[in-house]
Amino acid sequence: MGIIQSIKNKVRQRSIHVCYVNVGSCNGCDIEILACLSPRYDIEQYGIYVHNNPREADILLITGAFCEQWEDKLADLWEMIPEPKAAITIGNCPVSGCTFNRRGSFVNPPVSKHIPVAASIPGCPPRPTEIIETILQLAPLVFKDYEEKK
Amino acid sequence: MLSIFCYIKEFLRPEWWKKFLFVKTPPLVKPDYFRDYPHLTGNECTHELRCMMICPSPGAIEILKNEDGKWAPVIYKGHCIRCGLCVEACPDNVLASGRILEQNETDNTSFLASYYINVNDALCMKCGNCSVACPINKEIDPQLAYNATSSSNNVIMRVKGSKLTIMHPEKCTGCKTCEKTCPNNAITVARVIEGDQDDD
Repeated sequence: MGIIQSIKNKVRQRSIHVCYVNVGSCNGCDIEILACLSPRYDIEQYGIYVHNNPREADILLITGAFCEQWEDKLADLWEMIPEPKAAITIGNCPVSGCTFNRRGSFVNPPVSKHIPVAASIPGCPPRPTEIIETILQLAPLVFKDYEEKK
Repeated sequence: MLSIFCYIKEFLRPEWWKKFLFVKTPPLVKPDYFRDYPHLTGNECTHELRCMMICPSPGAIEILKNEDGKWAPVIYKGHCIRCGLCVEACPDNVLASGRILEQNETDNTSFLASYYINVNDALCMKCGNCSVACPINKEIDPQLAYNATSSSNNVIMRVKGSKLTIMHPEKCTGCKTCEKTCPNNAITVARVIEGDQDDD
C-alpha cells in the first residue's frame, strides 16, 4: 500500500454517489432524504451526490416495507450497481415493517432478507443528521483499499 | 495591479483555504429537546403496562425483568416510532424523552386510564375461565378455582347464581387475560385513555 493508495482512499471518501429507492414506504423517509439536499444540511459539501441511476451509484438508500412487487426488481437494481457498493436502509419499515406489518398487509420485511444490507438507520422517520452521519461513517469502510480486496 | 495584490492577499489567508477545502457547516447534532428514543429515568417501574397498551407500533416496547429482577421497559429500535406516548402514559415517569415530562408538568396534563369489562350473556357459558385466569382475582382470593363459584365478594368477577357477575370493575388493570382465555369470545375489555388537563 503506497502513497497513491492512501490518496485514493482520501478522495473516495469525499466522493460518494447515492441512489435512493422507495420499496413501499409512506414517503416520510423520502422527504427526510430530500431535506438532506436542502441548504440547511447540504450534503454536497460532504461529497455526497444524488443520482437516481443505479449504474452511477455507490450507495443505495432503501426506504419502505418491501411490497411484494419489488421481489425481483430490487435484486435486479442491486446487480446493476457497480462494485464497490453498499445498501443502507432508512427508517423502521425496512427493519421491521413498523406500522405496516400487520395481518392482511402485503409487505415482506426485513429488506436484509432480499439483498445484503450494510447498515440500517432506525427511526420513523430518522433525522437528516442521522442519515448523513451513517453514510459518512459507512463510506470509508466500504471504499477503503477496494483494489486490494478484489 | 492593486486588485491582483488584493487577490493574492485573500488567497494567503489560512481561513480561506480552510473554507475551500473542508466542510463549511459544522456537523449537525441533535438538539437537546429532540424527542429521541425514550430512556430510563431511574424511577421504579410498577408493571402497570400502560406504555405497552398505548404503543401504536407493534413490538416496540416490552416490560422485561432486568438483571436485578426488577421490571423495566425495553425499547426496540427499528420498531419504535418515537411518538412519546409511552412517556406520557406512564404514571410513574419511568421513561423520559425530550421535554415531554417538563411540558406535561407546565401544562398540568396527564393521561387517565380506565378499563371496562363487557360480558355478552348470550355467548357466555359460565365456565368461569376468565375469573380463574384473572391475575387480580388470584391475588385477592387464591381459593378461586374451577367454575369460579367461590364465595368471596372482593374479586373483580365470578360466577354467581349461574351468571357471570362483574363485582369490582374498578380493580381491573386491563391485562386482557380474560379475553384470551374465553373460549367463546364472550368477554371483552375496553381500554379507555383520557387526556386530562387541570385548570388551576
